[in-house]
Amino acid sequence: MIKKYIQRFYLLFIIILLYAPIITLMALSFNSSKSRARWGGFTAKWYVRLFQDDQIMTALYTTLEIALLSALIATVLGTAGAIGIHALRRKYRTFMMGVTNIPMLNADIVTGISLMLLFIAFRFSLGFSTILIAHITFNLPYVILSVMPRLKQTNISTYEAALDLGASPLYAFFKVVFPDILPGVSSGFLLAFTMSLDDFVITHFTKGPGVDTLSTKIYSEVRKGIRPEIYALSTIMFLSVLLLLILVNIAPDEKEDRKRILSAATVKRHKISRFLLRKVVPAAMVVIITIGGIFYSTKADRLGGANQVIVYNWGEYLDPAAIELFEEETGIDVVYEEYETNEIMYPKIQSGAIAYDVVCPSDYMIERMIENDLLAEINFDNVPNIKNIGDVYMEQSRQFDPNNKYSVPYLWGTVGILYNKTMVDEPIDSWSVLWDEKYKDSILMQDSVRDAFGVALKYLGYSLNSTDLDELTAAQKLLIEQKPLVQAYVVDQVRDKMIGNEAAIGVIYSGEAIYTQLENPDLEYVIPKEGSNIWIDSLVIPKNAKHKENAEAFINFVCRPEIAKMNFDFITYSIPNEGGRALIEEPELRNSKIAFPDAKELERCETFKFLGDENDAVYNKLWREVKSR
Amino acid sequence: MKNRDKKIKRLLAGPYIIWAAGFIVIPLLMIFYYGLSDKSGHFTFHNIAQITTPENLKALGLALLLSLISTAVCLVLAYPLCMVLTNLGVNQSSFIVLIFILPMWMNFLLRTLAWQNLLERNGIINIILGFFHLPALEIINTPYAIILGMVYDFLPFMVLPIYNVLSKIDSDVIAAARDLGANSIQTFLRIILPLSVPGIISGVTMVFVPALTTFVISDLLGGSKILLIGNVIEQEFKQGSNWHVGSGMSLVLMIFIILSMALIAKYDKDGEGTAF
Amino acid sequence: MSNKLIDIVNVSKSFGENLVLNDLNLYIRENEFLTLLGPSGCGKTTLLRILGGFESPNEGKVIFDGKDITDLAPNKRQLNTVFQKYALFPNMTIAENIAFGLKIKGKSNTYIEDKIHYALKLVNLDGFNERMPDSLSGGQQQRIAIARAIVNEPKVLLLDEPLGALDLKLRQDMQYELIRLKNELGITFVYVTHDQEEALTMSDTIVVMNQGNIQQIGTPEDIYNEPQNAFVADFIGESNIFSAIMVEDKLVKIQGVKFPCVDTGFGKNKPVDAVIRPEDVDLVKPKKGLMQGIVTSLIFKGVHYEMDVMANGYEWLVHSTDMFPVGTEVGIRVDPFDIQIMKKPESEDAEAVSIEE
Repeated sequence: MIKKYIQRFYLLFIIILLYAPIITLMALSFNSSKSRARWGGFTAKWYVRLFQDDQIMTALYTTLEIALLSALIATVLGTAGAIGIHALRRKYRTFMMGVTNIPMLNADIVTGISLMLLFIAFRFSLGFSTILIAHITFNLPYVILSVMPRLKQTNISTYEAALDLGASPLYAFFKVVFPDILPGVSSGFLLAFTMSLDDFVITHFTKGPGVDTLSTKIYSEVRKGIRPEIYALSTIMFLSVLLLLILVNIAPDEKEDRKRILSAATVKRHKISRFLLRKVVPAAMVVIITIGGIFYSTKADRLGGANQVIVYNWGEYLDPAAIELFEEETGIDVVYEEYETNEIMYPKIQSGAIAYDVVCPSDYMIERMIENDLLAEINFDNVPNIKNIGDVYMEQSRQFDPNNKYSVPYLWGTVGILYNKTMVDEPIDSWSVLWDEKYKDSILMQDSVRDAFGVALKYLGYSLNSTDLDELTAAQKLLIEQKPLVQAYVVDQVRDKMIGNEAAIGVIYSGEAIYTQLENPDLEYVIPKEGSNIWIDSLVIPKNAKHKENAEAFINFVCRPEIAKMNFDFITYSIPNEGGRALIEEPELRNSKIAFPDAKELERCETFKFLGDENDAVYNKLWREVKSR
Repeated sequence: MKNRDKKIKRLLAGPYIIWAAGFIVIPLLMIFYYGLSDKSGHFTFHNIAQITTPENLKALGLALLLSLISTAVCLVLAYPLCMVLTNLGVNQSSFIVLIFILPMWMNFLLRTLAWQNLLERNGIINIILGFFHLPALEIINTPYAIILGMVYDFLPFMVLPIYNVLSKIDSDVIAAARDLGANSIQTFLRIILPLSVPGIISGVTMVFVPALTTFVISDLLGGSKILLIGNVIEQEFKQGSNWHVGSGMSLVLMIFIILSMALIAKYDKDGEGTAF
Repeated sequence: MSNKLIDIVNVSKSFGENLVLNDLNLYIRENEFLTLLGPSGCGKTTLLRILGGFESPNEGKVIFDGKDITDLAPNKRQLNTVFQKYALFPNMTIAENIAFGLKIKGKSNTYIEDKIHYALKLVNLDGFNERMPDSLSGGQQQRIAIARAIVNEPKVLLLDEPLGALDLKLRQDMQYELIRLKNELGITFVYVTHDQEEALTMSDTIVVMNQGNIQQIGTPEDIYNEPQNAFVADFIGESNIFSAIMVEDKLVKIQGVKFPCVDTGFGKNKPVDAVIRPEDVDLVKPKKGLMQGIVTSLIFKGVHYEMDVMANGYEWLVHSTDMFPVGTEVGIRVDPFDIQIMKKPESEDAEAVSIEE
């Protein structure tokens, strides 16, 4: 008896472990605060917004379409393959099963990379079809491995008996063999569907621009903080699958019915409910998915359309409403893709695998792209709204774009320290606080090479564009010293963690600081006295852009004061657009010291410069050494 | 008649064989090509040798350590669980399998991310612990959190194959052992455990390989302070843009994968240990 | 005979609402070959599993050698079981399978070696030591399962339909082998089967069971010749069973015709069941018979002919060495001592008869 209780308790423990994160996510879907770190009260608004959010819905339907298609194709191909392999001679069969096992046993990352290399080598353009091929490939083993054991169990004599009774091989197969292996086929299909749905790594390597599955969409949002709509969506998906499974499980079992003696009426009733629960409901769900998929895919923008512009921007860097406005006004379809760091964006442009039309790199990266001849000159006749950009910013831009030929300033800001007033004792005005033992495990550091080294170099009194190996080694030494004090290296997650009081001090971009202050008034931002980095992210057009005029129309559009202001409301990053700034209603924001600091403070700040591939490699190497300590 | 039948059946394997050649074998050869050549296409071992730099070795070593620990934890958690599940009876087997597959319908990234919420200093677990005046759990951004994430994400891959072999063991065989005088511990050690080896091996590889190569879990739960070999490779491809070195490292990883395939081939000849 | 070794007292067992054993009483003597015989679902396997310790009864107890073993774990009992599907350990060689119980008991290696050798010889599988179970045929596996059980020198060997999966020839060989083993080893066999021929061939005592109740206990001859109710009569061998009227002592009316018999004490004009074995029906000239009929089918069976005779609305089954072609008019006679009279059961559930000995 006691043993039974221990068993039950253990089972319960495992189930709690498995489902605790899921319950957490469900709870977050009802959190009215946008930040996951703070409970802002109960709301159902995300569920409403979810259905208005085209980006998420499109990603959802892409995911479902790929899961459904890849599972279907893999099931057909895999079932046929399993039957064929089963008929092979032992030697070949063992070999084929070995090959089949590869995608399942191989690391996802290796499978993903190998397929990416193949696609690029054979000039497949990365997109929906490459994801589909990749998913079919890793789904196949699941199908084959679930069909194979069934085939082994199947009694060959029933098939031969059917032939003996005059059935054609095809008829015999579908009437005798197929029903026997059907459970294997359907469980293979279900597994394939689930695996495809849950995959991230392989999709991450094989996807192209404009196509996002939920996984890749979520990953690109991880660093920013997930949008609550995604929690709502996941909750809906999870609950509908749960519901489906419960329905299938409560449907009266046919085998049970056969064992018991039941009245004809009961049998009939059971038959009907079985039919409803096991056939109609799942079928209805498939139909809904398909119709929804068609609806959204006709609405969604896919690569290959003539009148489009492919934009590659930072995550959450443009109000989606602005994109819709642009599309409505011009009739140009916007294919929108996001990246997390300059370093992730650069190789994509350089490899030329995808022809982007508009990209938004930071200052030093623009310099590097100009140097490597990756950018096209902008025809400013098509961008009259350039007049709205403040002169001071155009002047700053000359540091990396000497003749203002390639870039249009989009957003700018500074790097500084965000601190929690209730968690620090002294006024903060220096980088030195990041090396203060007092704040061990309460420091959030930027997880990018140049930002991290910039902080250390500035603290040492050097230029943040230093290429002097001694200075860099000194900075590296400082960063290694700092590592034990650091709670985490993050990019945009500083935001949520600071809001949730997880840390006392964080290195952050000024734009994020404004938002965090709105969520948590205890937070304060400062540009340290040693000086810091001022950065400008500008819109550029890559040389291999296929829709240059559309790109210029797009750039011109975002340079409009109304649009710039709209974007400021959306992300609270400083805008170089003087016209836009004038439109900001709240005076405390319009004159915010964080968003628009005094010129005097900016004097201490430097922009990053491109230091050359070799120096970049030195930086990367030094940084990797810091990280792997 | 029979021969013709077999030939037709073999033909059915055709499309799959072509697919496997095109999308499994050739891509692997591509990795070999990149891994063994430099930017100008000359043959070199330089890329593979990159694994011996201290930081890469450390990333590999740490990945090995963490994945071995989490594989062991998964095994220790899963085995008794499967025994309990087997005892519950056959009727519910499909339902049991579903309990473990169901969480996959919540995106894997989100599930992992939710652990941040649970584990953070002011996270849910610590709020609960604080309520009972218990000491706070501070493992976020440490290797322990990564192990937890690995165990959480890959536990089903350990449970399913072990459950599968255990539920296939003839109850008469266990009864026979008891009948011949073995007590429950002896029955477990001499009969149940040896018979479940295929499932254990399959579970171990299915947990070990993804745990060894993950870059997402260490990213999300390790606070980017902890670099695993998966992170190194991912960065080579997505940030450092040195595909040759990345491929070279992937080849190193493949050694471990080939080892686990060999293990499976040795202990699970009949594919009894498949998870599904 | 020798003394009681196992005493099963008032044992009941049900699975859910399904009553499998109904207040069962039975004892097993030392060195006896006892067979539990009955159709599938009659509870015989459950009874065996209770003896083996794999099930525990809801009520009642099992006494072994004077000690109550009802709640004793299987590994503590001096019984060994041969399972229906052999249940050899698939991960061990034949030798390891046989050595299993001995190793657990901590016997010396030389002792174990000797025993393996002896047991394999006993079951005629010399030299199979290093083979794996799945490389053996069903009959060979069966013999290994027996060898594995007997090396432990159990006081009782429980066998659960051990020959069920074998073909006819092999089954007959194994039957003789089991009898030989029993005689050589001097251990008690409790044997479960649904095959009446097997039961009749091997047993000292047969226990006929149906729906959780014991129907009859007796020697094979008793059971065959004097079935105590229609169920036993029907289950054991072939028979003609009639709903008859006991007119008076020693006279029974079958299909409207009075037949003299030897039974007494059923009262006057009481409905009874009458059983006549087919080989006990004598076919004679029509006039000499108590009843007349026509032969409707004829099959040659080797030792005898099997005929169906339609007489007074009942198709009689007849085994005879004399041949009567189809269509022949014949007379039917039955010797009085060949008619077995039985009480009619009051309902299907009361088919059980209490056992007094």
